Amino acid sequence: MKLLDRSKSTDFAAALAAAGYRVAAPVSDGGLVRIKEWAPGAEIAASEMPLNSMKDFLFPRTEVIGRWTLEGDGFASQDVRPDAPKTAVLFAKPCDAAALAVLDAVFNWDCKDCFYNAKRDAAAVAVLACGSADEHCFCTSVGGSPGEAHGADLLFRPADGGLRMIVEPLTAKGKALADAAGSALSEGQAQADPIARPAERFDPGKASAWLASNFESPLWKELSLPCLGCGACAYACPACHCFDIQDEGSRSESVRCRNWDSCGFGLFTLHAGGHNPRADQSARWRQRMMHKFSYFPQRFGRLACTGCGRCARLCQAGMDIARACARISPRENA
Amino acid sequence: MTDNLYQPTTLRIADSRDEAPDVRTFRLEFTDSGYRSEFFRRYRVGMFGLYGLPGAGESVFCVASPPTRTDHIECTFRKAGRVTSALQDREIGQTISFRGPYGNSFPVDSWKGRDLLFIAGGIALPPLRSVIWNILDRRADFGKVAIVYGARTVADLVYKQELAEWGGRIPTAYGGGTSSGYPSVGRLPTANGGGTSSGYPSVGRKDVDLTLTVDPGGETPDWKGKIAFVPTALKESAPSSENCTAVVCGPPIMIKLTMPVLRGLGFEPKDIYTTLENRMKCGVGKCGRCNAGGVYVCKDGPVFTLEQFQSLPQGDL
Amino acid sequence: MSGAIGAMRADAAKLLSEGAVKLVLGYCVRGNERYPCFISEAAQAEALDFDQSCRQNLAAYLRKPEVRGRAPLAVVSSPAVCRSLLVLSSESQIRENEVRALAIGPKGYGGILGLGALGAWLKADYPDLVPEQALLDRVAELSAKTAQERAKFWMKEFEKCTRCYACRAACPGCYCERCIVEKNMPQWISSAAAGHGNYAWEVIRAFHQAGRCTGCGACEAACPQGLPLMLLNARLSQDAFEEFGSRPGYELEAKPLIGSWSAEDDGSFIR
Repeated sequence: MKLLDRSKSTDFAAALAAAGYRVAAPVSDGGLVRIKEWAPGAEIAASEMPLNSMKDFLFPRTEVIGRWTLEGDGFASQDVRPDAPKTAVLFAKPCDAAALAVLDAVFNWDCKDCFYNAKRDAAAVAVLACGSADEHCFCTSVGGSPGEAHGADLLFRPADGGLRMIVEPLTAKGKALADAAGSALSEGQAQADPIARPAERFDPGKASAWLASNFESPLWKELSLPCLGCGACAYACPACHCFDIQDEGSRSESVRCRNWDSCGFGLFTLHAGGHNPRADQSARWRQRMMHKFSYFPQRFGRLACTGCGRCARLCQAGMDIARACARISPRENA
Repeated sequence: MTDNLYQPTTLRIADSRDEAPDVRTFRLEFTDSGYRSEFFRRYRVGMFGLYGLPGAGESVFCVASPPTRTDHIECTFRKAGRVTSALQDREIGQTISFRGPYGNSFPVDSWKGRDLLFIAGGIALPPLRSVIWNILDRRADFGKVAIVYGARTVADLVYKQELAEWGGRIPTAYGGGTSSGYPSVGRLPTANGGGTSSGYPSVGRKDVDLTLTVDPGGETPDWKGKIAFVPTALKESAPSSENCTAVVCGPPIMIKLTMPVLRGLGFEPKDIYTTLENRMKCGVGKCGRCNAGGVYVCKDGPVFTLEQFQSLPQGDL
Repeated sequence: MSGAIGAMRADAAKLLSEGAVKLVLGYCVRGNERYPCFISEAAQAEALDFDQSCRQNLAAYLRKPEVRGRAPLAVVSSPAVCRSLLVLSSESQIRENEVRALAIGPKGYGGILGLGALGAWLKADYPDLVPEQALLDRVAELSAKTAQERAKFWMKEFEKCTRCYACRAACPGCYCERCIVEKNMPQWISSAAAGHGNYAWEVIRAFHQAGRCTGCGACEAACPQGLPLMLLNARLSQDAFEEFGSRPGYELEAKPLIGSWSAEDDGSFIR
């Protein structure tokens, strides 16, 4: 079997960079781990849960989708092409790869979003199965698993007590990654390590069923009381995909950007005329829950949550979507 | 041809007309004939577009002209923010950006042979205007046509000239103004491909029953229409629901108060249509902003029957 | 501290059972963390807790209509939160009859204090709340660098900002109905989470707190990207104190630094 010594993680990244890939990997950055563009010298923290998800590389927080120069009474449109370099995402989390199906669905139903698709097509995703999970992980509650690689092109399995990884290309893109790795990979035998098993905290089917008939529940006010209405949860979420479109520019040149947006912000649904359908935070937080566990599944046949737990891990107010789901759909034996 | 969903085309402002304080109508011509053909291949009444100006942004308005007029499109909008202010700063001959048509449409063909009742409030007449002209262009296909239209004040009524044409009996109702006070540029020319041969009488057609109303306090001394909120005016005019389809457009509060009146008149939820105005950005079912319940208003709407409307979470509308 | 917490719980229960307040804003333990919690029944007061890890500034919740609508309220208040209550009061954002503090700090429990009594408690027990020495040392270290070096440092930090506005949400002082970053006529600050827009946002956010920041650190604690926001806030607080003698949050009716003018103010920068 193909093996990667953990100590050769950076050699793997370097080999891919030399082969022309932009390499994204979890990198230690001032004590915090972020998935970011790898550069020689950066220390890869392969097993860590990064602050951000890999959606940053497919659906970045800001992206130019139009560009114009002003000409006399009018404006001349410049051709804007997606910025989609060939990219290798290394040591992504299984829950992040699982979220690709959510992004694929929304950016391709009905009409296709070339900016997302160009990046998606140019990206090869290598997932590292999770040997450990923390108290916020809940992939097993939403149909995922720390050992699966849905959406990925290559799977790394931790082995030999974390010293090595077993390399399993899953697609042609994944095989190309393995081929480009050169001497960073070796042939040999290794014993796969046990996979983490986060507790199943709720039954998503029951949560969806409860949500479908409880839009008016008084529970929303109670559950949302701590929420202060920032966008931290949405921006850290691998599956959240709402965006704003804003123009920036000078008199002579302007660009149209799409920027991440969040249904948690009060301005998200504010009409120009002053009416705001979601006038308070309970309505906004309800939308977050409904969209992930009711509306999205109704339309696209899958949950818009993959249980990475980032939203709860970083929320200043202690909002916890898994806890809320457990509240509305307790497991029989919980 | 770009595969960029968000790439707009360019429209030239052929004419403009001030309708009411801060409300303006643009007549717009396509500069790209390919886009124009594709637009009219897909356009049905009720659909909307994203009108914009690079550097300021885009804003959603309906297409206010009917598909039976294929040399231009029109839009009517109120100055309310950055984009609409920038658009109103544009002058005849200058260009704006446009994407569309987007969204679903009114099933006009399924209304053949039926009476039609249009109810609108304030700046929400434009989405109905395209339907109304579309219907009038093929007048013989339909039964009676009645319109109940209200605004906060007399000044806020839009399409005054067309109201005069539709209603006939209220030419001096606009604070002493006359229809000649409005430039004729907004007047739709005789149909070129439409179904009627009669054109548009300058005063009073007999085949439309128009009821105008203004909110109490919004009347002028010479106002000859009703003085009542739209739902009340509707109740007073008591149209028959038999073989009749109702179409309601207005601010959310007006819609909510009008629906019970229509139900009281015997209209079934499947025979009442309305449009939703949820905030939108992308217009193509990606950005998530217009999501309410299981629908994306930009794709599944903006046209809904009351039956569909009632199945949506009312707190999100 | 356990005695202080017991007394604080007892007071919270008393206020609720007497009906003197309808809601108590405090902190509860969950897992290894302490989180904001909202208590409306006396029996729940036992769950209240407090220690130095409670960095969320509960005064930020006074901006939320769902919370404010349940006044009168009691707020478990560290010294920094007490100062925030006084800043909000001096800026006419809260009224005496709406809010009471359950004042608690390293020196113990201060009891149920109305806004009018907070200043005296603070002046007696925490007369000169200043940032921790470690923070001041980092501020001094950064201040010693050249302007170019500082700009480089901050550009690198601000590049991480995703514009989630967790810092703004965490801060009781950020109560504008429409934040300057969301104004677009004109658009003062680019809304794209990048480059100079991020720089402008972070600097303007900090400047809007000058002479108002009470040093609670909630913004920095809330930042998912770990930006060292207190470096900016602490430096601005130092300047506000050294240049204008401003120490916000000690007086009920102090004039906000940016909203007041004195003939003694340093005018030497006007040329």
